[in-house]
Amino acid sequence: MAILEINSVSKRFGGLTALDNVSFQVEEGEIRGLIGPNGAGKSTMFKNIAGFQVPTTGSIHYQGQSIEGKQPHTIAEMGIVRTFQETTLFQELSVFENALVGTHIRARSNVFSAVLGLDRQKQQAANDRVMEVLDFMGLIERKDQLASELPLGSQRALALSIALVSEPKVMLMDEPFAGMNGEETSHMMDLTRKVRESGITIVLVEHDMKAVMGLCNYLTVLNFGQVLAQGTPEEVRNNDKVIEAYLGGAR
Amino acid sequence: MGVVNFAHGELVMAGAFTIWLLHAQFGLGYIPAIAAAIVLVTAIGLLMERLLFRPTRSDPLAGLICSIGVLFILQVIAALIGGDGPSKQVPPPFHGTLVMFDVLRIPYQRVFSLIISAAALGTLWFFLTRSKFGWALRAVAMDREAAELQGINTDRISVIAIGVGTALAGLAGGLIAPLTNINPHMGHNVIVTAFIVTIVGGVGSLSGAVLAAILYAVFHTLVTVYFGGTIATISGLVLMVIVLIVKPTGLMGAKVSE
Amino acid sequence: MSSNSGFTMQRMVVGAIALAALLTVPHFLSFHHQDLLIFLTINVLAVCSYRLVTLTGEWSLIHAVMMGVGAYTVALLVNHFDLAIWFTLPLAGTAAGLVAALLCFPLLRMTQFYFLIGSFAAGEAIRLTWVEFVGVFGGTSGLRGVEAPIVFGIDFLDPIPYFYFSLSIVLLCLFILYRIENSRVGLTLHAIHWKSALAESVGVDAWRYRALAFILGSFFVGIAGGLKIHYLGSVTPNQFTVGFMVFILIWVIVGGYNKFYGPIIGVVVLTIFDESIRSFEVLRPAIYGAMLILSILFLPLGLESVPGKIKSWFGIGSPPPEPPLSDQ
Repeated sequence: MAILEINSVSKRFGGLTALDNVSFQVEEGEIRGLIGPNGAGKSTMFKNIAGFQVPTTGSIHYQGQSIEGKQPHTIAEMGIVRTFQETTLFQELSVFENALVGTHIRARSNVFSAVLGLDRQKQQAANDRVMEVLDFMGLIERKDQLASELPLGSQRALALSIALVSEPKVMLMDEPFAGMNGEETSHMMDLTRKVRESGITIVLVEHDMKAVMGLCNYLTVLNFGQVLAQGTPEEVRNNDKVIEAYLGGAR
Repeated sequence: MGVVNFAHGELVMAGAFTIWLLHAQFGLGYIPAIAAAIVLVTAIGLLMERLLFRPTRSDPLAGLICSIGVLFILQVIAALIGGDGPSKQVPPPFHGTLVMFDVLRIPYQRVFSLIISAAALGTLWFFLTRSKFGWALRAVAMDREAAELQGINTDRISVIAIGVGTALAGLAGGLIAPLTNINPHMGHNVIVTAFIVTIVGGVGSLSGAVLAAILYAVFHTLVTVYFGGTIATISGLVLMVIVLIVKPTGLMGAKVSE
Repeated sequence: MSSNSGFTMQRMVVGAIALAALLTVPHFLSFHHQDLLIFLTINVLAVCSYRLVTLTGEWSLIHAVMMGVGAYTVALLVNHFDLAIWFTLPLAGTAAGLVAALLCFPLLRMTQFYFLIGSFAAGEAIRLTWVEFVGVFGGTSGLRGVEAPIVFGIDFLDPIPYFYFSLSIVLLCLFILYRIENSRVGLTLHAIHWKSALAESVGVDAWRYRALAFILGSFFVGIAGGLKIHYLGSVTPNQFTVGFMVFILIWVIVGGYNKFYGPIIGVVVLTIFDESIRSFEVLRPAIYGAMLILSILFLPLGLESVPGKIKSWFGIGSPPPEPPLSDQ
């Protein structure tokens, strides 16, 4: 059974139709690419899956359960975590504190024990988990630096870390390669593969074709809010409609 | 637009003060005085947009705080121009009373205000629903990013929206001047009523606001007659909170997305 | 992030000196200024508890009224049950917290300016209730007869003992507020503020944390209201208008709301400033208004950021803005 099922989802804002009857399925363990020109509705799709927006019509199922209309934090607790476009981090916090926010689901803290200092054990468990992930992502040396001081590649790795700390099953990555140079891109590709090997299903919105073609085993192409084509990277690359709408342009 | 102008009531007050100064003190005609009020208040509004709201757009709270600053300043300017002492009165430029069916008696002054308000609202409604600008404004209010991707100049939309909004505040000040006591603190009641009406009607919905304004006026009057003014305002506020519980976007408001 | 490591030797020395100064200062002040000092102390608690509410990025306009809830609670408890201050103060906080908890359901459905307007309306409704129900709340003239408490045989009608008393209560509350802010709960509140969506995406129930901040902030300002009324002896609805709320906003913003001590600087500096422009009378609101606008436009981080700015202007010290939470 598919881990994520999108069934005829439409999203309209007033007169604008951002998503128009979109359906696709994501199998467990894959890296799925969601591509398309600017304004095709990729980010809107993410927002709808992660609960930040509610589809106007249609349904979204995760592990067979309907999740559309649920709150983002509920969806996150169920195991779907998203990362954000550009570099969305808590810029004002240290690398360690950033990742610590991700431990929220697994090790909650309350006010009384916090004021009285009764939650040492939970704190320790949370800190251990954070160190484990920072180590995995190669950020351990930078743990006390401010997020805003990190180079771009490390910032994106940190964004992944925050998500990873919460132990998700599905990760929605929104343009993690945007603005990266060749070296950073290949490092990020390695990290993404490592995440996938740890058993996490990935859905990737990306413009960087090298990364998309290199990472994804299956692609869904959106255009004007509709599914234009689906297939392996090879099939999509040779699809006439896709070439006309998207690849045929500047690339 | 995501801008809350706390000084809106004070802009209405500034409009009313302009009428008092130009019409009642210096003898300018009522209609030219209204025109002057609209020009003056719009100018203040546009200055606020350019100097305060635009630099602070990334932080709506900062814009709001600035508007509180403007509120204080406008009150003091009004107090300095008008001097201390009792509230100012503007003699109604229209005399006589319209009598319909022997029971309905409306002073011509109110008839005039009613007609002008209705005309202004009609124009605004047409502007918001039938023009390209109205479409763009709603797009910007719903999802600024998406609107920018569609090629909408959000700066321009913002200037026009504030300009129109403040021009109407000036007009409202002009219309209300002969009907009420004018003092530097009259803006407070205006803003409380405006908030209730906007929230109940739905933020960003003109038809909702008009409907809510009419309903609220009837409601407030009835409750005042039977239970007193304070109870009327309390129940208005409670009503507003109830609307927020049942439908946070107001009676006619659209869902606003993040 | 153990919160104890922040108390270094240097800090303790500075703290001890400040405390000693605070304890001696009232003896050199006139009666009028002693009054002012007590209100200032109480207002410090008001702004710091307000900052807790704003940690999540939501600004309410009901905080002044919550202070009033605490004040009216004290007045009613003293008038009807003749309770001692040890009971009235916690109950004042609890009452304000309870009212806040009830208001969470309608108010926290909204965010940003909807919340702001909603909280304004709810606050005004509560305040008008005090005006309207004369039998219970005494109408516009309020409730009187809250006699100054006598604790351990000390009569608190005298400003100096009452100053010591309120100072210790306020310091205790500030300590708790500080601990909350520097705990994981505080981290989550900060996270909701800066990137609410990012926090929610890793499972933070932003609503619950907003509610928590709102209830706790109201609890502490309720205590502040109680302290105020025990000193004044009477309470009226006009003490807690939106006008006073605007002052709380101004103190917090001009002082700088990114650091724990920013609002304290704001309320102290502006109270002194306000004393010094007493003679301008009519112009005072306009001076305040202009200062508010200028500080938003040119000093968005508040007075708290000024030393850092001066340092970096001369090329010494670390460049501002320093991040909040960095001092652990």
